[in-house]
Amino acid sequence: MSGERIVDADVGVLGAGPGGMAAARALAAAGLRVVVLDEGHRAGGQIFRQLPPGAPHEAIAEPPSHAHGHALLDGFSASKVELRSGAIVWDARPGRLWFEQDGTSWLLRCKHVVLAPGAYDRCIPFPGWTLPGVITAGALQVMVRGFGVVPGKRALVVGSGPLLLPTVTALVSAGVQVVAALEASSRWRALRALPGVLGNGARLREALWYGRKLLAAGVRLQWGWTVFGVEGDGRVQRATIGKVDADGRPRRDTARTIEVDVVGAGFGLVPSIEAGLLLGCASRLLPARGGHCLVVDAEQRTSVAGVYAVGEACGIGGAEVAMAEGELAAAAIVRLERGAPIAAAVARKAARERKAADALLRAFAPLPGLHELAQPDTIVCRCEDVTLARAKAAAALHGTSHRAIKVGCRAGMGPCQARICGPSLQALACGQPFVPMDLPVAQAPLKAVRSETILQAPQA
Amino acid sequence: MAETADLIVVGGGIVGCAVVQHCAELLPAGARIVLLDRGPVAGATSASCMGHLMVTPDDAQEHAFSATSVKMWAELEEREGGFDYNPTGALYLADDPADVELFAVLQKQFADHGDRAEILDQRQLRELEPGLAHDLPGALFYRGDGVVLPMLACGAMLRQAKKHNPNVDVRPHTPVTGMLLAGDRIVGVQTARGAIHADHVVNCCGVWAPELAEMAGQPRLPIVPRAGNLAITGHHVTPIRTQLLEISYIRFAHGAAKVDPTRTDDPGGHAMNMQPQSNGGCLIGSTRQFRGMDRTLNKALLHRSLLRAQRYAPGLAHAPIVRTWVGLRPYSLDKHPLIGPWPPLRGLWIAAGHEGLGITLSPITGRLLAEQIAGRPTTIDATPYLPARFLR
Repeated sequence: MSGERIVDADVGVLGAGPGGMAAARALAAAGLRVVVLDEGHRAGGQIFRQLPPGAPHEAIAEPPSHAHGHALLDGFSASKVELRSGAIVWDARPGRLWFEQDGTSWLLRCKHVVLAPGAYDRCIPFPGWTLPGVITAGALQVMVRGFGVVPGKRALVVGSGPLLLPTVTALVSAGVQVVAALEASSRWRALRALPGVLGNGARLREALWYGRKLLAAGVRLQWGWTVFGVEGDGRVQRATIGKVDADGRPRRDTARTIEVDVVGAGFGLVPSIEAGLLLGCASRLLPARGGHCLVVDAEQRTSVAGVYAVGEACGIGGAEVAMAEGELAAAAIVRLERGAPIAAAVARKAARERKAADALLRAFAPLPGLHELAQPDTIVCRCEDVTLARAKAAAALHGTSHRAIKVGCRAGMGPCQARICGPSLQALACGQPFVPMDLPVAQAPLKAVRSETILQAPQA
Repeated sequence: MAETADLIVVGGGIVGCAVVQHCAELLPAGARIVLLDRGPVAGATSASCMGHLMVTPDDAQEHAFSATSVKMWAELEEREGGFDYNPTGALYLADDPADVELFAVLQKQFADHGDRAEILDQRQLRELEPGLAHDLPGALFYRGDGVVLPMLACGAMLRQAKKHNPNVDVRPHTPVTGMLLAGDRIVGVQTARGAIHADHVVNCCGVWAPELAEMAGQPRLPIVPRAGNLAITGHHVTPIRTQLLEISYIRFAHGAAKVDPTRTDDPGGHAMNMQPQSNGGCLIGSTRQFRGMDRTLNKALLHRSLLRAQRYAPGLAHAPIVRTWVGLRPYSLDKHPLIGPWPPLRGLWIAAGHEGLGITLSPITGRLLAEQIAGRPTTIDATPYLPARFLR
């Protein structure tokens, strides 16, 4: 009976974002049978998110690089790849991916696995950040571009890194007034990104496009500023903003209040590596790339035979990196399966894109001083309602490791399993900006699935 | 210049924390008490177990032992709180009519010790727990049991300890690397961060207690790990408000193991035990298997656990499972914990080996050990738990 719920393929791809789509398209073009598992309702991932069919829809302005995305989406749709949307992968071992789809428990058996799970928003807690109306940059993109939902009238955009720009342009094209756009990094720190941008034509064009869009909308990016707190009766009504020092520490004397009803917060991204860890893949801590990253070789192979990783899981890098690495992983698999050599241009492109992304991200590496925004009564773990004061008490009594803080106050043990609070928890609770984060614990179920899904899991 | 203390407790789980709390209360004011753990406080078994407070009426001694401890939990809640104490009571459920006969057997055991449990018929059970399967024939309801969150309870015990004695010094992430001996006396421990001298050292290392005893050159303690697979649901989905146990649980969990605990080919077993959580989650157990220190999930046993949980609470089939894990119970070879001095080495004390009742029994364990160290009469008869019984 469970045989009906087993899918076979040459390659199983986790994620239908740019990396997963690029890998799948190239693999299918070589005649391999590819199944892509994705949690979204349509292909595209976070960055090339497509509106659901029939959704009300204003044209959202897109930067030049999204032309690649459309071409990829078209090629992906036209290919023989089998896309399984709404699929939650909850258990894995090499050659096996267990997933829940439409309430049914499935198993994908495959010879090779390509991990392209993307990333999570990095959340930096500040007073009032759990009020309705405070939305992460990623979630704002989902609302505006994925569902055509306009979140409010007057927006404040805060954070650090390249994601602020698409957040601003998405809001502007949805008709939201962006009252202020605050980049926590200083202009001088950001200049470190310049060689990487200037040396890469596509990135330069991208930067100029955003510059023109902001100018046209009358939005000026304020460097070295961020949000100190948000207030309101049941939802966001006001925000206190101010300057930060070079490490991101708030300069309280510069605080002033503005009226807004939406706050978009994009403090960077954190690689999603849990599936890789569950498969046994080696990882390492690369703070500039967003945290713990899966280790891959020059052909995107992880430490586990038959398991490849591309894009954000190997370190935050953006869509261009993910696409190039997806194609490289596909080429490595095609060489194994078909004996075709890897084209030098494919490997070169992946290396070049990764290098450019690294240069850009170094300029926007997480600022430790931003952890001083949270006050003792600020919630740090929203699943379990843990305040900063309780997390600090846990660190003082139970120990300063990530696990010690978790067991001391239950932070990170709720439905998100520390995906939201985990990356900041230790720094916040220990009051020390630079603590090496513990590796997240990976165990099945990777994401919450129904008890029945676990019980009905096909075994093969 | 080496550091000195009056008492060193090794192992920051629930038992170690209880020992620290009661020593802080009973030893002379200002005594220097140091708690060491190689990991976090409450980072091992106490963070991977269920949280039951469970009165076991097997005989008069066991009843006094567990009932006194459960009463001490209520006192800790009153004095300190902050550990999700929830006196839910416990429902002993029968799967089929044949099991119903066991209600009266267990009820009589409670009654024999002046305690009281009520037999509920099908209708009464449904009124109390409407989320349970409607075909269940009834239950035995014991109101004295409850649920706590053990890892937070460890913190509450240590906060109490510090209130009694500000000299209590808690040092997580400080591994003990050796024991300092002088003839037949223990005189302190060597840690990764230096030596600490003390007249008394308490081994509260649970499944790792034999490891610490070996560091002191002592023969292997009769404690072996017994693994349990657990699962927890997301918030706000628990179909139950009371702690649930299968009536067969008592025999399964507290009867003598039918397999040789020192071998590792035990196929393992299961008896349903479920606990509501303060956040509306439901903790689902419970399995038992001897297989050494292996903490990988036994999927077959976990599946059995989930399936049996659904048999009693059918709504759980659709509940989201957010996490599964394995914890190791410190099983003592004669089924009783070891609490007291270790005569071959003066100054060495043991409090370990509570298997699945460590949470229930930690307060009385801490009390009995502190009373012995302080040279006071014990609250209840402590002789059945003296570790010296294994030296005979």
